[in-house]
Amino acid sequence: MAALAALQQATLKNGLSLLGVEYPRVPWISLAFMCKRGSETDPPDKPGVADWTAELLTQGTRRRRQLELAQDIEALGAALAARGGWDATYVHLDGLAEDMETLMATLAEVALTPAFPADDFALLKERRRAELTQAMDDPREVANRTFTRLFFQGAPYGHAVRGELARVDAVGLEDLTAWYAREFVPEESVLVCVGMVPFPRLVEAAARHFGSWGGGGPASPAWREAPARLAAPGIYLLDRPELTQSEIRLGHLGLPRSHPDYFPVRLLNYILGEGGFSSRLMGRIRSELGLTYGIRSTFAWRRAPGPFVISTFTPAGNTALAIKEIQRVVQEVQEAGVTAQELAEAQSYYIGHFPLGLETPRALIRQVLNIGLHDLGLDYLARYRERVAAVTLEEVRRAAQAHLHPQRLVTLVVGPAAQVKEPLAEIGPVTEFPTAESGFF
Amino acid sequence: MPPEAALDPRAWNPEIALVPFTLENGLQILVLPDPTLPVVSVQVHYAVGSRHEVPGITGISHLFEHLMFRGTATLGPEEFSRRLQAKGGEVNAFTTRDHTSYFENLPAEHLELALSLEAERLKHLKLDEENFETERQVVLSERKLRCVDSPFGLVEELLFATAYTTHPYRWPIIGWDQDLRRLTLEDCLAFFRRHYQPGEMLILVAGEAEPEQVYQLVQRYFGDLPPGSREVQRVVEPPQRGERRAVFKKVSQMEALFAGFHTVGLGHPDIYPLMVLASILSQGRACRFYQEFVRPGRAAELEAEVYPPPWTAADPDLFIIRAVAAPGEPLPRLEADLWAALARLQEEGVTDPELARAKKMLRAQTVQGLAKTFYRGLMAALFHLKAGDATLANRLLAAYDAVSAADVLRVARQYLREDNRTVVTLKPVSPEESQELGPLF
Repeated sequence: MAALAALQQATLKNGLSLLGVEYPRVPWISLAFMCKRGSETDPPDKPGVADWTAELLTQGTRRRRQLELAQDIEALGAALAARGGWDATYVHLDGLAEDMETLMATLAEVALTPAFPADDFALLKERRRAELTQAMDDPREVANRTFTRLFFQGAPYGHAVRGELARVDAVGLEDLTAWYAREFVPEESVLVCVGMVPFPRLVEAAARHFGSWGGGGPASPAWREAPARLAAPGIYLLDRPELTQSEIRLGHLGLPRSHPDYFPVRLLNYILGEGGFSSRLMGRIRSELGLTYGIRSTFAWRRAPGPFVISTFTPAGNTALAIKEIQRVVQEVQEAGVTAQELAEAQSYYIGHFPLGLETPRALIRQVLNIGLHDLGLDYLARYRERVAAVTLEEVRRAAQAHLHPQRLVTLVVGPAAQVKEPLAEIGPVTEFPTAESGFF
Repeated sequence: MPPEAALDPRAWNPEIALVPFTLENGLQILVLPDPTLPVVSVQVHYAVGSRHEVPGITGISHLFEHLMFRGTATLGPEEFSRRLQAKGGEVNAFTTRDHTSYFENLPAEHLELALSLEAERLKHLKLDEENFETERQVVLSERKLRCVDSPFGLVEELLFATAYTTHPYRWPIIGWDQDLRRLTLEDCLAFFRRHYQPGEMLILVAGEAEPEQVYQLVQRYFGDLPPGSREVQRVVEPPQRGERRAVFKKVSQMEALFAGFHTVGLGHPDIYPLMVLASILSQGRACRFYQEFVRPGRAAELEAEVYPPPWTAADPDLFIIRAVAAPGEPLPRLEADLWAALARLQEEGVTDPELARAKKMLRAQTVQGLAKTFYRGLMAALFHLKAGDATLANRLLAAYDAVSAADVLRVARQYLREDNRTVVTLKPVSPEESQELGPLF
């Protein structure tokens, strides 16, 4: 097992870092080019620039138009996908290990020699308009997007990665080319490879295809701040009269990935709401009360403090009750901490589950990208289990007190106001949103 | 670090080792020994799904799946999941049209614990009115999430309800809302006694486990169950004799259509050319639908899909085309051009490069799937349950490879006929109009 996760590193002469894991299970290779700047560097009022830039990379290079590129890649059975994210932008190319040379060359061509064709940009914009319009039909998407915008109040994490419908026309091709020229630089990029290929061969191929790339720059400074202002705690309601269930989000500001309490907080959150049927929230809201099919709490671990969010849904008539019960569970954990048995079980879950999380190239590359993005160190996977095991009950208790803030929760309900507004008002003042049509999206 | 030979794609053997046993009481066992990783996937499959239900109690298979987690004489509610999760396990279950499946993916050393707990809940399941009622509410919330409030859930339900007139595939796995409200605990207990017995069971263990040891453990924990047999249920849907159409009105930003064509079940060899056909139409970005409809912004989505082996239904399943018109694109025009695109394929056949691409992508997808112990187990189990032969899992790569252009043309002509087609269109209405049409459930 330790062998499977042996992480190796090389630096090319232009400063581009290469992280690799040799993977013997199936003849597969997953390659990823990661630029360590993402949607948080979208220009203000132009949400989506990083993600659209990534997508446009796949729509043609200086050598090949979109169709030819797709035909050549798919003739290998491979798949190309690119996307923006928080703190980083990714180009993924996955295929059979026997094609490593071609795949490496193709990834370099896509990431380093884009054509940014104007006609393809126009098509991309229309596809995004359609996608963002369609997202309004999915209550979960509506809740996630609305919460993000509401909570962050215009801070760099305060928009949807894929863009905002009302701002589609504000984004021009020149925004994408400028963003690419600024952010894609070797010193702030990482190439990750997980596959059935010896590492020295990867280094050699990477050097040939990526080693002389100069890139643009200077890249935007990495954003690490907490936002200057956030939404005021309280209950916010977006009326969707046609829904039978309310989508509910409750959140407050979380912590950056670099925070020293990372491991205690992860264990704490497993017990609170990430551990499925082992979690307090699932136990109370689903198993005991039958109010929902699912509930989960998440700390979004980013370079700057990301949100801590509890997400659930419940038949509209239960909305106020579900919120009160969730608040109570958070309060209890914040005040009283967790039990020794809960902590022991959370620790043994992460320790026992470790090999399952390294089973597939996809799972592995996710871990390695995270290591590269947050500079977690080459020994991160090797030391992971001992770090989990070292967390004490007292550390978790302190983490609960310091990092859970039931009084600061910003609560969003997307549901039928006619049914939910009055019961919600009994919990506290309710701020009603403009409707979806009024351009909030 | 893996030895050099382990990193040679040419030396890779895709064969899944299969060792079958049968207990005297009729319970079948499949062991897939694989020493690669110190993990096992323990799977308990019952050959009962929504097809074994009758009108009035639709959804009972799935509701019962939930009840299996509600505890026994010695295990509290959800303690089954908690105990195995505390060992690092991934614990869950799913219900399909043909079977109900429970699984635990966990460190190999906990194989016996997983088997003993599966036996415990089968032999000593404790159900009472209170936990039955709680779980009914959970499932009603799940139905609202997946079907009622989701963008296309009810449209898809109407497609199956219209395409099938006789076969039980016409009702949804989760069941109709009114049936879920009407079901009683007594119905569930009768269902349990009838179907949860050795004749309908397959226990599969994949991963780091010795076949003889698995046999001994299953014998120890399940050998004392009274013998049972499997009811083989044969239902034939009469051939469709003419196109059927239906309209569903709901609040939506998008116009859409779902079309279904009756095809074949998992055991039929035509499933492979049908998969290749679906791939040529809509997999990747060189495919026909992407190039003609999605890329130019006429369709927000246009997908051709048949449940891939081993997920294909046991009896003839639907080949589904799902088209979401982009804003500004009239659905009737999109539909006409969609049928014209199919007619062109049925007239001219497919090209050699597109056939080669589709086959390579399906091969790559299969290879990638083989990285996961859980999935290897499912392949063998589902082929065994639905096609009566687990070794078909080992013939998947060859079956895709053998598909010819003539096969694809033949299945396109044979199945994608207007007379064999059911089309459901989603017509958007305002929230007010929606309310006038009556409640959704």
